[in-house]
Amino acid sequence: MKPFDPRLLREVPATRAPIGLLAVAAAAQGAAAIALAFALARLVTDVVAQGNWERSALWALGAFVLRGVLGMFVDRMGAHTATAVSSALRRRVLSRWIEAPAEARPDAEEATTLAVQGAEAVEPYAARFLPALVAGVVVPVLAVGALVVVDPLSALIVVVTLPLLPLFAALIGRTTEDDTMGRWRALEQLAGHFGDVMRGLPTLVTYGRARRQVEVVRAVSDRHRMATMRTLRLAFLSSAALELLATISVAIVAVTVGLRLTHGSISLEVGLLAILLAPEAYWPIRRVGAEFHAAADGATAIDRLLAPTSCPAGTSRRAYGPNDDVPAGQEVEVVGVEYAYPGTETKVLDGVSLVATGPGLTVVTGPSGVGKTTLLDVIAGLRTPSNPPRISQVHYVTQRPFLPDGTLESALRLGAPTGRTTSDVWDALRRIGLWEFVAGLPDGLGTRIGDDGFGLSAGQRTRVALARALLSDAPVLLLDEPTAHLDGDAARTVVDVLRELAAKRRIIAVTHSPDLVAVSDEHVHLAPTFAELSS
Amino acid sequence: MTATTTARSPADLLSGVWGGLALTSGVALTATSGWLIVRASERPVILTLLTAIVAVRAFGMARPFFRHLERLRSHDTALADLATARTSVYAALIPLTPARLGRRSRSAVLTGVVDDLTDVVEAHVRVRVPVLSVIVATTFTALLTAALVPAAGAVVVGWVLSVIVIAAVGLRLERSSQPLLGAARAEVSRVAELVGRHTGELRAIGAEGDVVRDLDRAQRDLGTALRRQSRGRALVSGGVLALTGLATLAMASIAVGADISAGVAALLVVVPAALADALLPLADASRARARSEQSGSRVTALLDQDPALRATGTGTLATAAPHLRLEGVTAGWVDDRIDVGPVDLDLPPGRRLAIVGANGSGKSTLLAVLARALDPRSGRYLVDGRDVRTLDLDAVRDLLAIVDDEPHIFAADLRANLAVAQPDATDVDLVRALRVAGLGDWFDALPSGLETRLGSGGRGVSGGERARLSLARAVVSDRPVVLLDEPVAHLDHPTAAKVMRDVREATAGRTVVLVSHRPEGLDDVDDVLDLTPIHKD
Repeated sequence: MKPFDPRLLREVPATRAPIGLLAVAAAAQGAAAIALAFALARLVTDVVAQGNWERSALWALGAFVLRGVLGMFVDRMGAHTATAVSSALRRRVLSRWIEAPAEARPDAEEATTLAVQGAEAVEPYAARFLPALVAGVVVPVLAVGALVVVDPLSALIVVVTLPLLPLFAALIGRTTEDDTMGRWRALEQLAGHFGDVMRGLPTLVTYGRARRQVEVVRAVSDRHRMATMRTLRLAFLSSAALELLATISVAIVAVTVGLRLTHGSISLEVGLLAILLAPEAYWPIRRVGAEFHAAADGATAIDRLLAPTSCPAGTSRRAYGPNDDVPAGQEVEVVGVEYAYPGTETKVLDGVSLVATGPGLTVVTGPSGVGKTTLLDVIAGLRTPSNPPRISQVHYVTQRPFLPDGTLESALRLGAPTGRTTSDVWDALRRIGLWEFVAGLPDGLGTRIGDDGFGLSAGQRTRVALARALLSDAPVLLLDEPTAHLDGDAARTVVDVLRELAAKRRIIAVTHSPDLVAVSDEHVHLAPTFAELSS
Repeated sequence: MTATTTARSPADLLSGVWGGLALTSGVALTATSGWLIVRASERPVILTLLTAIVAVRAFGMARPFFRHLERLRSHDTALADLATARTSVYAALIPLTPARLGRRSRSAVLTGVVDDLTDVVEAHVRVRVPVLSVIVATTFTALLTAALVPAAGAVVVGWVLSVIVIAAVGLRLERSSQPLLGAARAEVSRVAELVGRHTGELRAIGAEGDVVRDLDRAQRDLGTALRRQSRGRALVSGGVLALTGLATLAMASIAVGADISAGVAALLVVVPAALADALLPLADASRARARSEQSGSRVTALLDQDPALRATGTGTLATAAPHLRLEGVTAGWVDDRIDVGPVDLDLPPGRRLAIVGANGSGKSTLLAVLARALDPRSGRYLVDGRDVRTLDLDAVRDLLAIVDDEPHIFAADLRANLAVAQPDATDVDLVRALRVAGLGDWFDALPSGLETRLGSGGRGVSGGERARLSLARAVVSDRPVVLLDEPVAHLDHPTAAKVMRDVREATAGRTVVLVSHRPEGLDDVDDVLDLTPIHKD
């Protein structure tokens, strides 16, 4: 786990500008801290000398305000960078996910968790850790640089003691490493236990095991507390040791300054500057360590979000999907296609061919389980067979059409070109025979459908999906059992509409309906393969 | 909310004192060093500086020492409170499960509670202890400076009071941004899940562009919300520094005018800068406070609900094959709404029934009544002729095994995952259940058999295996009634069809109620109950 992975800038260009700006702002903020040390030293000297203190007081005020303003800017910029980085990573992983062929996608659960929680963990990393990291590099360098000019002896002391900090940290880390790793694993399990039994609560309630679990929760939480405290005690002790080390180093600077002051070999202002600048060399480094602890999740998430396995390369669409080479026509060319579900041997499709050019209506019939739906999946590009077909852009109305939670209108507009007006939507509903029904709803097109909304019957769902197909501008429409859930009148309306559509588009419909077969231009019948017959 | 999560533990006070002493040591260290350097520049006899040198050394060592004590104490207190809060919230959730956890994605609700509780309890470490520490350090600084020059004490008090005002404004800004931020985060998750779960369907209708646009819009809103939230923290961190500048200016003017030694003058000028380091963490404290308030109110809202079951009796049952009946049952999840009914249903032992219907027609509501998760609003639910409201809740639930669309796989071995349904089951029983549920081949391929760890950190389980494991639990439980709530909702068609075939095998001879909006498995039931209301189609 690296503090900063340059792959982020290389592979996600959208992150470059915000991260760059944030780094500059954090560096400027560090420079302001150095300027403040100069202003304060000058002010104390002037106050002690009863000299022209007003001017140096205004300088000090200015330095404070400058540091404050830059601090505000870093905070605001940090928030901006946090969303810019997490959004870019989330968008990248999700769009690659969409583009990948079904067979190459990782587990949906895992991908969603990574896109939601993983990308969110990047926010504190970008907002807090990155500025701390920049300050941790810039401020010590500036502080030592200033000391070299102002008081070389103090600079020497700082340069000699500064490396002790990381060295000491590494030593503490080394001696406790094995122990800590073991503890972290145990700790992770204990910490995960509560979430696990919480998510499993419905299961535990079902089988009457929940009440017994309360005592387990108490016992495990107590163990978690003790284990965490053991780990924390060590972490806090090493952090206290580092702070003490930094304090002692500053004290050494202060002692030499004090001695030289009593001898009169340096001026008061130089002495003050030395003891104000010296701590600036130490604390930013300790802060990097402290912030990294909180941002480690984000760093891990970035690693996983950039990993090639979470982002299968976008070979997808070009290879088999709607093909750009095919002119925007109505061509479908599936020749001798073979397909077996991932992890199985049996071919669902074995040498199936379907060629259609220009507008018209093709019906596909065949007994249940012969692979009619799989054929449509293949034509739609949802499944990748051994020899991918040549097809134009399609719109596919599945047997159980997908209607997202939301308003009826947003469901109807899904996949439609942006130019469609509300009257186009009403027109599509009228053609499919749903106008009266929707107009009769209290909220009309604004009616909410889905889990907590209005219930549509299976027939209504099918017709909403057909209306959506009318709104799309895809030259090829794939329909899986378009009339299955419809009564006589509705089914006749749908057949008429499909016939009408077939004048301009290529329609491929899987159906059992003789009415639809009767009006078709081409008829493909899929017979069971030998394997299916014998099983 | 339970008292435990909001109780102000006296241990916080002690942590606050340690933290305050650490901050005070820091202020004292800077102040004494300033005095020492100026005094040294006057070239006195070194011996006269000895006391101050010892003091500087002592303060330098005291700061990490007290900070260490504070951290140990505050984290230990917080973890102890977390343990108590988790235990009591868990116990409080049991009577609310499952009916009051929302209709969908209960596991997301429960995960939310875990995070919210952590936020609430973290307020100890992130809010109360820093604020107490600041109070201690400020009091000390005000007293010290007032003892040297009274006006300087007044400056410290005035300055810290202005910082408190700024912090209060910052807190208000943070608070007001919380709901917006929550909504924006929820929308981003919703779109991301939509993409993850419905990739195929979205691509089928060429809607990928639409959802990616939705994602961009949701992320833009999230960005706006986060930038808005950052105003609070930025105001506090910037405001504290600007006010410190003014305090330094005021101190310098007082130091110049007062009749004090040069060393004391230097001390006064550097004190505000030293105390500013103690005040800056208030910016983080106000954010943590706003967050924990929001999280706390979410947990409270969840726990403040009334259990969905009001009437339970003490009657016991002695039956291995219960006869279930619904007579004119209506039911609803919230008080003023009826989601289903009236329904009459007769389920003699061994009957297999499917409940179908459009979304929102009340399938799951009816199943929740049968599962004794929800009381009937009117009508009667009879088990062997006796009203369930007169019967012991556990006695009724012990008859029912439930297989839903979100079965949880515990982070434990396979044996424990199955035995949760029947602790007395032998290994032979468990393996038999796995085979009946269609997991025979899967089980045979496991390297460690029943000892194989599953769940997070263990072996991955596919959607179909998850559904079958849930089925295997129902088989192991040996309960006479199996209620299946959309068991294959998240599976593709071929897998769903195979799982439903195994369901039929696994539940042979038992009473089965299957709720589904999919065709798989509907062909081998005795009865189909269609709840779709008649719309004017």
